[in-house]
Amino acid sequence: MAGSSTVLSDSSLISRLDRTLLPIERATALLSGLAAFSLMFLAAYSVAGRQLDRTFLAPLFDSIGLMDGPLPGYVDYIETLMPLIAILGVSYVQREGGHIRMDILVGRLHGRALWLFEFITVLCMLILVVALVWGSWAHFDRSFDCARPLCSRDSSIDIGIPIWPSKLVVPVALAVLLARLLLQLAAYGRAFVLNVASPAAVPLIQSVAEQAAAEAEQLKEDSK
Amino acid sequence: ATEWNVSVWGKRRAFTEHVEKLAELVSEKTDGEFTMNISYGGLSKNRENLDGISIGAFEMAQFCAGYHRDKNRVITVLELPFLGVANLEEEVAVSSAVYNHPAATDEMAQWNAKLLMTSPMPQYNLVGTGTPRDELAEFEGMRVRATGGIGEAFKAVGAVPTSVTSSEAYQAMESGVVDTVAFAQHAHLSFGTINRAEWWTANLNPGTVNCPVVVNIDAYESLSDAEREALDSSVPEALDHYLSNYGQLLKKWDEVLEEKGVEKVELSDEVIAEFRAKAADPIRENWIAEMESQGLPGQELYDLVVKTLADHRGGS
Amino acid sequence: MSEIQIGLWVTGGMLVLVVLGMRVAFAAALAGFVGLVWLRWSGFGYDPARFGKALEISVKIAGQVPHSKVSSQALSLIPTFILIGYLAYYAKLTSALFEAAKRWIAWVPGGLAVSTVFATAGFAAVSGASVATAAVFARIGIPEMLAAGYNKRFAAGVVAAGGTLASLIPPSAILVIYAIIVEQDVGKLLLAGFIPGAFSAVIYAGLIVAIAVIFKSVGPPVTGFTWRERLVSLPPALPILAVVVIIIFFVYNPFGEAWGTPTEGGAVGAFIVFVVALLRGMRFRQLLDALLETAKLTVMIFTIIWGVLIYVRFLGFADLPHAFADWIASLNSPPMVILICILLAYAVLGMFMDAIGMLLLTLPVVYPAVMALNGGENVAAADSAFGMSGPMCAIWFGILVVKMAEFCLITPPIGLNCFVVAGVRDDLSVQDVFRGVTPFFIADAATIALLVAFPAIVLWLPSLA
Ligand code: NA
Ligand code: NA
Repeated sequence: MAGSSTVLSDSSLISRLDRTLLPIERATALLSGLAAFSLMFLAAYSVAGRQLDRTFLAPLFDSIGLMDGPLPGYVDYIETLMPLIAILGVSYVQREGGHIRMDILVGRLHGRALWLFEFITVLCMLILVVALVWGSWAHFDRSFDCARPLCSRDSSIDIGIPIWPSKLVVPVALAVLLARLLLQLAAYGRAFVLNVASPAAVPLIQSVAEQAAAEAEQLKEDSK
Repeated sequence: ATEWNVSVWGKRRAFTEHVEKLAELVSEKTDGEFTMNISYGGLSKNRENLDGISIGAFEMAQFCAGYHRDKNRVITVLELPFLGVANLEEEVAVSSAVYNHPAATDEMAQWNAKLLMTSPMPQYNLVGTGTPRDELAEFEGMRVRATGGIGEAFKAVGAVPTSVTSSEAYQAMESGVVDTVAFAQHAHLSFGTINRAEWWTANLNPGTVNCPVVVNIDAYESLSDAEREALDSSVPEALDHYLSNYGQLLKKWDEVLEEKGVEKVELSDEVIAEFRAKAADPIRENWIAEMESQGLPGQELYDLVVKTLADHRGGS
Repeated sequence: MSEIQIGLWVTGGMLVLVVLGMRVAFAAALAGFVGLVWLRWSGFGYDPARFGKALEISVKIAGQVPHSKVSSQALSLIPTFILIGYLAYYAKLTSALFEAAKRWIAWVPGGLAVSTVFATAGFAAVSGASVATAAVFARIGIPEMLAAGYNKRFAAGVVAAGGTLASLIPPSAILVIYAIIVEQDVGKLLLAGFIPGAFSAVIYAGLIVAIAVIFKSVGPPVTGFTWRERLVSLPPALPILAVVVIIIFFVYNPFGEAWGTPTEGGAVGAFIVFVVALLRGMRFRQLLDALLETAKLTVMIFTIIWGVLIYVRFLGFADLPHAFADWIASLNSPPMVILICILLAYAVLGMFMDAIGMLLLTLPVVYPAVMALNGGENVAAADSAFGMSGPMCAIWFGILVVKMAEFCLITPPIGLNCFVVAGVRDDLSVQDVFRGVTPFFIADAATIALLVAFPAIVLWLPSLA
């Protein structure tokens, strides 16, 4: 399965573009992590509010207007956050080679043969992602109408908050992925044409030894 | 031959019997030329059935107005609390009046959808644990699982509407997260909330959800005359079948209450009137103002419901 | 071509793409998308003028799925469970747990390995992801075992196998996914995982002791801890207990008057681990790392979820699940034989596939078939083929397939846990780990056989709830 992988960099244009895209991707992933983190606070707040509201402290919290019973729309907020958590970092994971795949076959290939296979599978992904950007944009577009209050043409079940911001996350995340795939396609194509041994800007399957060395390095970092 | 895909959800139940019957009748009347393939959740998520109709993913679908009020503002008039609808026949009458109003047909046409028939649901009465609540003051602080307009109505009298999904409702009740749950009878039975209940409000009748069955306009218009005739003429029959089937379920409901020793709570007329004044009136006025501000005939729609109800009672 | 035939062709095409090394999530989504176009266009009689329309409808159907399918409160358990695992590492709960287990049980033959298994089981009670558990204990358990003179492969095998416990012992991301696919009560399923999970841990421990007794050099006992040392090792591990108690309160409602729903319980558990991590000196940078790691694993899992669900949406339009259920029901073999064949098929499939992907791909088709085999969704125990009611059968089958999925985590050639353990340790190759984990296949096979033969092991707890 997808073990860890490394991405090399050099002075080529492709590599420079890779390094331009990377901070954006890292930011999206971090945002996704932060959203997961906020989930935790949301639940803690809602549960604490509900429990405290049953105790003698209830009037106190009632008067400060915080934790006064369960959070209204708790489920709606979670459902709004989920696409952020689940999809936003999709390109970062692709950049790091983290999406699961079977590498029984590609793990045995080297050089041009390997770049050809990678080129073909990335091309297939690209076709799919173009379709999905279109489709998820259409999904967003159906819920968005600025002739209406809050531009909302689709609202959540409980407290009626607009859904379009959460639907917009998907085409945005997939558009970043599209840029990443174009870059990888160019990198693999170039590697195939020029017969490069270890191209920059794409995740390279590490040999076990390389992988272990990288992990040991990581552990040293951790223990600092 | 014409084959329609129909998107509903959950399992086959009283709530989907009119769709099943419609498919049967249409196929019979056209000698199998026009068939419907009913899918329970395989084609779409229930909250996206209207999207599916709009993009032409399937030709017919069921959804509930309260799932997404901004998608279907007009028909949410039917979900206002305390409309005074007393039984399923009245629910059918008010729904079809609203469905035929140009504001409703226009809004649905924006989704490429045509309203075909309603799925009449009885009033969402409460089951609860602890001492029965039959005074308005006793609703203060009550944790209730109720959504949409009904949730708002309970909030107006001091209760705390609590978000849990319907599949978590039983557990929420068992764990004390909620004291009461508002559902139609069939849902109290299928989600098991009746098993935790000590009492049931037989006549609170705070409101219900409105769940229409719609068809894709292009698909409807491309039917042959015979097929369209078969479809249109089958709607009343399908609804009759639904009503008689649901009637049996309601009979069973009374037996279940008795068997489980659940107390039937009858609220006095004064308490209900007080509840309506406190909850229904402000929510309705608010709703009308909001619709009017968006250029929709809120007042007219509400009046239509009231008038239809009066006519229906006068006529029957 | 019939819908069923299109379904089979598309499924075959997807498998080819997966073997060619396309990322599983995207291979499934592409297959689903192509299938949707094909199906729609065949409905239009392959009229070239209407290809564009078929394409547009299919694009829009597929484009709904990512947002639609991930916006679910129940699925929010997955990021939460993953986050707990990473935070627990920085809260030093994992090392405290291992230390306590070591001081109390390292004296038995293979004792450090047994400690590792019990520590992973304890950690499993707060962590929802097997892979994360294996990665953490490869860093903590393996060095200690090597220092005590353990066989390197054996030590690696213990960690890879112990890591799988996180998927059965609640909380468990994969049980949540199962519950969602088959629309069953998440709480009851999590509850049902508890005894089989503990049972697996005990079987692992028994196996380790037996191996250590027979092959003296594999895992020598470690002695010399005083009672004082043992007692002081307990308090640092206590927060785990607190989190477990909280999750128990939310998931199982032992006293009726409980605190909330499972989805809330997971998040509150994470909050407590977060507070402990802060108290134990977690730095801001470490928190960011934990969040980034959580995001990576979460996004990876969810990409598979929505990718596969695009394919499943296509299956829905092709009506394949029905066809398969009808076919299974029409077979004349005894239901138990069919069930065992299904489990064996999972074992084979699991050799080549990731666990979550495997469940998502197969359950929409296999689950209705198994339910039909038992006599239907609402069958009473007395009228059923397996001697249990429909809802109980759903729980039992869920635990069985999750145990199969765990099994896949340690089977070559794609046992993810083995790759992770090898990745963390520079002195171990993947082959070493696979060799070390071999005895645990046998333990797992025995566990599965017992769960099939005695469903009461699974169903006793949920039947009380
Ligand atoms: Na776990
Ligand atoms: Na495997």
